[in-house]
Amino acid sequence: MIDLLRALAVLAEPPCPETAWAARALGIDSPLDAADHDDLFLFQLYPYASVYMGAEGMLGGEARDRVAGFWRALHLEPPPEPDHLAALLGLHASILEAEAAEADPARRLLRRQARTALLHEHLLPWLPPYLVKVGEVAGPGHRRWAQIALEVLAAEALAAGPAATLPRHLAVAPPLPDPRSEGAEAFLQGLLAPVRSGLILVRADLQRAARELGLGLRAGERRYSLAALLGQDPGPTLGWLAAEAEAWRERHARWAASGPPSRASGRRGRVAPRRCCPNWRSRPARSAGSVDGPAQPWPPCMLPACTSPMRLPSGSLNWAMRGPPGTSAGGISVWPPAPSIDCSVCSRLATST
Amino acid sequence: MSDRLCELNQRVAAERAAVLARGETFYPGASRIHLAAFPPRERWDDWVELDSRAWPERVERRFMLVPTTCFNCESACGLLAYVDRDSLQVSKFEGNPEHPGSRGRNCAKGPATLNQVTDPDRILHPLRRAGERGQGRWQRVSWDEALDDIAARIRAAISGGRPNEVMYHVGRPGEDGFTERVLAAWGVDGHNSHTNICSSGGRSGYQWWMGMDRPSPDHAHADVIFLISAHLEAGHYFNPHAQRIMEARQRGAKLIVVDVRLSNTATHADHWLAPHPGSEAAMLLAFAGHLVRNRLHNREFVRRWWNWPEFMTRERAGEEPTFENFERALAELYSAYTFEFAAAETGIDAATLREVADIVAGAGTRLATHNWRSAAAGNLGGWQVSRCLFLLNALLGAVATEGGTFPNAWNKWVPRPIHVPPHPPSWNRLTWPEEYPLAVNEMSFLLPNLLREGRGRLEVYFTRVYNPVWTNPNGFAWVDVLSDPALVGLHVALTPTWNETAYLADYVLPMGHASERHDIHSYETHDAQWLGFRQPVLRAARERLGQVVGDTREVNPGEVWEENEFWIELSWRIDPDGTLGIRRHFESRQDPGSRLSVDEYYGWIFENSVPGLPERAAAEGMTALQYMRRYGAYEIARRVGQVHEEAVPDAELEDVHVDAGGRAYTRSAPPASANVVPLPSPDPDADGRRAVGVRIDGRILRGWPTPSGRLEFYSRTLAEWGWPEYAVPAYIHSHVHPAALAPGQVVLIPTFRVPVQIHTRSANSKWLDEIAHTNPLWIHPSDAVGLGDLRTGELVRVETESGHFVVKAWVTEGIRPGVVACSHHMGRWRPEAEQGGAQRQMMATVALRHEGARWALGRKAGVQPHPSSDPDTRRIWWTDTGVHQNLTFPVHPDPVSGMHCWHQAVRVRRAEASDAYGDIAVDLERAEAVHQRWRQLARSAAGFSPDGSRRPHWLLRPLRPRPDAYRLEPEPPR
Repeated sequence: MIDLLRALAVLAEPPCPETAWAARALGIDSPLDAADHDDLFLFQLYPYASVYMGAEGMLGGEARDRVAGFWRALHLEPPPEPDHLAALLGLHASILEAEAAEADPARRLLRRQARTALLHEHLLPWLPPYLVKVGEVAGPGHRRWAQIALEVLAAEALAAGPAATLPRHLAVAPPLPDPRSEGAEAFLQGLLAPVRSGLILVRADLQRAARELGLGLRAGERRYSLAALLGQDPGPTLGWLAAEAEAWRERHARWAASGPPSRASGRRGRVAPRRCCPNWRSRPARSAGSVDGPAQPWPPCMLPACTSPMRLPSGSLNWAMRGPPGTSAGGISVWPPAPSIDCSVCSRLATST
Repeated sequence: MSDRLCELNQRVAAERAAVLARGETFYPGASRIHLAAFPPRERWDDWVELDSRAWPERVERRFMLVPTTCFNCESACGLLAYVDRDSLQVSKFEGNPEHPGSRGRNCAKGPATLNQVTDPDRILHPLRRAGERGQGRWQRVSWDEALDDIAARIRAAISGGRPNEVMYHVGRPGEDGFTERVLAAWGVDGHNSHTNICSSGGRSGYQWWMGMDRPSPDHAHADVIFLISAHLEAGHYFNPHAQRIMEARQRGAKLIVVDVRLSNTATHADHWLAPHPGSEAAMLLAFAGHLVRNRLHNREFVRRWWNWPEFMTRERAGEEPTFENFERALAELYSAYTFEFAAAETGIDAATLREVADIVAGAGTRLATHNWRSAAAGNLGGWQVSRCLFLLNALLGAVATEGGTFPNAWNKWVPRPIHVPPHPPSWNRLTWPEEYPLAVNEMSFLLPNLLREGRGRLEVYFTRVYNPVWTNPNGFAWVDVLSDPALVGLHVALTPTWNETAYLADYVLPMGHASERHDIHSYETHDAQWLGFRQPVLRAARERLGQVVGDTREVNPGEVWEENEFWIELSWRIDPDGTLGIRRHFESRQDPGSRLSVDEYYGWIFENSVPGLPERAAAEGMTALQYMRRYGAYEIARRVGQVHEEAVPDAELEDVHVDAGGRAYTRSAPPASANVVPLPSPDPDADGRRAVGVRIDGRILRGWPTPSGRLEFYSRTLAEWGWPEYAVPAYIHSHVHPAALAPGQVVLIPTFRVPVQIHTRSANSKWLDEIAHTNPLWIHPSDAVGLGDLRTGELVRVETESGHFVVKAWVTEGIRPGVVACSHHMGRWRPEAEQGGAQRQMMATVALRHEGARWALGRKAGVQPHPSSDPDTRRIWWTDTGVHQNLTFPVHPDPVSGMHCWHQAVRVRRAEASDAYGDIAVDLERAEAVHQRWRQLARSAAGFSPDGSRRPHWLLRPLRPRPDAYRLEPEPPR
């Protein structure tokens, strides 16, 4: 797996003639050109754990510090971007390599534990939905890349076994800001922070929203574009958001049963999700009492299922993020009770639906 | 893992193998996976980068990447010069990923080579003094004028039977033996080095154990790394070692650092020990005693490889010479070295020492240790520090093991050159005086004293990349003798840049920097053997474009030359018709009767003396020289391993004689070797057979190049040459031991370096100067209180045995109470009358005064912004360049190693009202009195030689005069 991991890491870097071999070796027939790379990684899906695991939904911050801390815990000098996807895959490969080269069984065990911790703490909490999203918005070359990466992750997760504790990123994730007390600005920002909202909303999604709603998309950062959509026609926009959230909820529910898609064909279930991302198992009870539908067997790592105190359609969006306390089957994680909110946006959303 | 993923992984691995087999780079960078952030070598002819200065415009620039070797510290790290294809000038230097030692990484000093190349103050033309020596007036001369004058004087000295009036004094060698062979070809024993102000103490301790005088720790694979130094920032082979130490730490290795300062290295340590300066050996012997008492040592290794039988025979004659008795004797020897004893000596509590000792014990054969300068260079008897440190390796069997410590000669390759002249016939008493028969290298720092004593004179004295006026202790004594034409007839400074010693030269001849000269190197950076090539990169670049370059001066700035061509030309002019027998060593083999070219010289070496290189080059369609010009380095062997365990082949065992101690001698000639790395030469047996190995458990193995063939716990040489009390590793009270300090005295540590400077060589690097340009006195807050609540920045006067200096205080908890420290590198100066030039980024302008033996130096002006060809010199924001403390240090020759013992017992007090920052005052008579006191400690060959020789013949010596020159003769009348 070492070479495979490194090849995947190399392909998350800007393409150059010297890396053509990697695509070739992975059987990626479609060219990975610089324009595709820039559109995917610089414009749509920033390949940094902090963007998906940080409360701000932005580069850096405490989430990056946590990743950097992991490097330091291994006595490694964190690179300038310690939470970059390529850096993390490269680190995983390096630990695997060190583990394979280690003659001393005790040290080998330490390496293995480090690898497992990396997997559970900093890869599995965000990469599966991230890579699925890559599959949605990328061109064929990077789509193929993402599928292979998903498979590799699934295999690594299977080998590593379930996590003992909830990943720190998730344990400390704050709820979605309450627009009544924290303002619309903070609320929108939270909406764009996957660890708080449960959604990965990329520029392509906002373009789609504008297209589907017949609204104008104003160019700017995502928050600006989203605010502009809401400003133009709040009801339908909120409705679109609710549907988007519902789609994510359904997607996770589906994965909970059969695993994320891992092949271009959309074939599912090569690896059971509860094995693939065991820490995700720790959150089922969270959604149980909070959704007007059946308890979800497999809430995703970062995309909290809807917990609606509102009179929303069953299973629909609840911005409140957190469900009631619950424990996983393994007795692992206890989620904080979620505040029920009655925000104006949600009210309008409710009205509109 | 699924079959599909396995298959994919295999496919990638196969692709990698195919790419590597083509000699290409598999993971090119810059990459976040940190496998290769370097331009792949297959694109070195035409590498494209965006011009950072054109940002935000995207302007592409094309480069040829040409390797060379850094010439700042001794690590010889690989550099890659980015030669702009349009301007054919070097734009920057990065690391050379093909270099096995540095592996593409460099410290700050490597890229700063660019500053040295473009230094607006560098010397571009040969200069000859126009007035009196030291008057500061210069005139430009041609190379021909300079060469003819110098050659005529050397020829006269050699022809006149005064060959040893020619001396070459080198600071940073930067090469492996070229210039030593030049001197040998001239027949002069005129090599002088800086070693006795640098590493003789460290070397000496290793030499008594292994014969070879340098360690080569395999840091990367160690479980415990034990450093008596600030190795991660300024140690020998700093960058190659530091990266391997960090690798080991990433694997979980423990790092133990012994340093009186909280150095950058200490901040990385698992255990930082700050003992009282000079007490290190006591601590190490306590560790050794702990190992022995608790039988934690590697008994089998000790039994097989120590020369314990010799110890038992000579020192325990009344006992049965069994190993068990030896172990009892060993325990007795070190029984007094308890943790409590060490705690009293070091000031470190016994529990901490015990904890660290247990960590050392746990390392087994994976203990990498290193001491080079530091304590070994600071203290009387400092050579016992490295010896006691290696004792730990020897006890644990961590010798030449994976993760252990090797002798340097096994990890080094010095290729046999095209000509090997014989060693000189005579003995130079100015460099190898009888008082110090066991000195590891030349007693270089005593040269002014010996010249003033009338022990000789110099007709031609070369200083080359060396600045003794500034670097050596007692610098005013150097000013004194270098100013005296009766003592030094002609002083030739070979230097790229102005320095304090060059101001006292008759000729200043500009020599090239790292990218402007040829040299080869091989250093013991890890358990491997590699060869690095330094080359004039603009010459190599032009040759890639098909141009023919004849002489390096054609591509270097101004008339800057390189030394290889210089020495060849000078030798021809010394012996133009070949009658002196010199010229033949500098003649072409391809074209007899003509001058040897550097292409032929290195081409011959690479084709004939570097195993595997011609084949590797041929595989890429190149000659060996072309390969080295293209890649800059070649790895000859990896994992050399335990040479001492190798069996001596039968072919080498002719008429073998094995003595009672197991030393095996043979009549077979030594096998021809392309590796001429210097090795000790144990004496032959009584019948003239050469030492070939040692019998261990019935087999004749290679063993060690020591008299016994084993690791010498017990040195018969030391015992026989007047030092029986030090025949085994022992603790010697330093001259700065608390008992030796007068009331009110503290210890000054003047030796430590900063990571971004290297002696005086890097002061022409603006980037480095901006980072580090001053040297305040480190002083602990508790000591500052005793000085009237001294604050950082306030002036103090530091009084040594021969004078004082005035420096700013830096109050910090990063140093042991009762000890002060002042860094090396700083305090550069130019006399106010000097008109030649200066390093204006780092030299203060000073007034020099002296009255009889009393000398003084006072700052007239610091550095300041100034116009030059480099706009950055207008942006110089610092004025302070530190204080030249070394002037105030009298010489302290260690009676055994010959090391100048740098630490000083000083008094620190607040500066007086009349004191100004940077003031220096020295009384040379007081300094000489100190020298004489230290000389009383010496045990001269005249009184102690057991065989009438000047020095044990088996010990290393850069040039080895003929055996008859080793015979002691009466001192000539003075």
